Amino acid sequence: MNFFYGISNNLFKSEIQIPLFQNRNFKKSNLKLFKSYPKNNKWILQEISSKKINDYFYILKNEDILSNEIFFLADETILNEFDDKKLKNFNNFTDTSPAFRANFKIYLNQGGFSSYQSEYPYSMITKKGTILSSISSIANSDADKNYVLIKNIFEEPIEENFKAYLVNYKTKSIEEQFEIKTNYTNCIEISNKFIKPEIFLITDKYLGIPMYVSVKNSFLSFEHTHPPHEYILSENKFLKVTNLKKEINEIIS
Amino acid sequence: MKSLVKKLANTNIGILFRNSLHFKPVQLKLFEKDYPISISDAFLWRTDNGYKTKFKYSDILNLFYKIKNSWVEFHFYSKNNELIKIEKVNDLNLSNELEISSKYLNNLEDYGTFYIYHFSENTKDLNNKDIISNRCYLGYSQNNNLYSFVHGNILGKFTSIYSNKTFLSDIVKTSLFQNHTYTIQKYFDGFDKNELFFTNPTSKTIKFSIESKNYELKPNCSLLVEIKNSIISINSNCLFFRPTIFSYKNKYLDVHHS
Repeated sequence: MNFFYGISNNLFKSEIQIPLFQNRNFKKSNLKLFKSYPKNNKWILQEISSKKINDYFYILKNEDILSNEIFFLADETILNEFDDKKLKNFNNFTDTSPAFRANFKIYLNQGGFSSYQSEYPYSMITKKGTILSSISSIANSDADKNYVLIKNIFEEPIEENFKAYLVNYKTKSIEEQFEIKTNYTNCIEISNKFIKPEIFLITDKYLGIPMYVSVKNSFLSFEHTHPPHEYILSENKFLKVTNLKKEINEIIS
Repeated sequence: MKSLVKKLANTNIGILFRNSLHFKPVQLKLFEKDYPISISDAFLWRTDNGYKTKFKYSDILNLFYKIKNSWVEFHFYSKNNELIKIEKVNDLNLSNELEISSKYLNNLEDYGTFYIYHFSENTKDLNNKDIISNRCYLGYSQNNNLYSFVHGNILGKFTSIYSNKTFLSDIVKTSLFQNHTYTIQKYFDGFDKNELFFTNPTSKTIKFSIESKNYELKPNCSLLVEIKNSIISINSNCLFFRPTIFSYKNKYLDVHHS
């Protein structure tokens, strides 16, 4: 099952298009769209009824989106079965190959926009771990500003701070650190001086999806990065990634 | 008997029949070889209509295998699969970039595909089952505006990391019939123009249709298709045929995978 998300802050506006069909089976579904967010250590559940624009899409505009909210498709039985202490794998409608995705667009008032096909798989929300992402692999030193959005969804309704670091792989030192939080779309600014091959973004406690935003003259670029295990397709991929993460995590320990 | 059927079902012919009959279809299958493999996505370059392309890639062998002195080769092809240029890059950083302008491609203003292969002579730190895949990031800039970045989207060709000069494809599987549909999960409404970029990552001709128009794409060729409808379904004989999307509004551009 996949969850979807956006961002709401004073830098960017966002829009999410959530399809009601599978990419290999173009048939409208009767599932409803729900949102959930953590409050006082409980998940709050709300149905979103008025944002269906046709039989095939829900479209959430900027005013419908907060950074602590997640969105998902489910049938109405969820209203009786929902556990406010833990997110569940509510259904398998979005378990498809290729992955079931929503278009997540960010835009500026002045007109620039950029999007990618996004999803947050259920398998990621049950685990703790660390993010590892190469800053220069996608940040743009020619841009006026670069940001990394970090979305974390954890199964429990906690709003806990954790740390993100920019570390230097060559000098084995921490260049900068940020406080971010769980169950939130965080936004951190990356100074151009850190857009170098040896600089990596890592987190200390929770997983998440890093998404890079570049801004120049009201133009935007927005794309997520591959998790490191996608670079290796042989059976030893988890060993190789674990070894690299261990080496880099030692910088912050 | 059961194991024989299973073996047959996983041969290329077996997979072709499974895909044609929609019986446990196979989208992607990696080859088992007796050498370590470097896989490249089929990446799109554009130098048409004021475009230039930036390619960002990592030194995977250094990062994950601690192998120094590896090198990469870029192989550039036209949209009709004619080899344009091969470039070798030594002295890799952990993260690297290459700008592909019309000047870089001998003043060619067009589009096509390219591939990146990692090579090394280090036999100590690699074994014959190792497979690396550089998915990389591509930026597209029109009229010198900000690059819009997207990651690699389709596994294209592979070769031996030990540089044996053999380049193979067909990781993506096909069907005998045009009986597989992929509907893009984006609502194409409110844009001035939308283009879909397709590349054929197989050694077979791909037949496909969009908005009731039929197309044929020969092996390793590429094609840009402008679309008009808000919902786009692609009917083809290819099991993993996902285009890169270019959406335009006013002077702005958004590029992403589908």
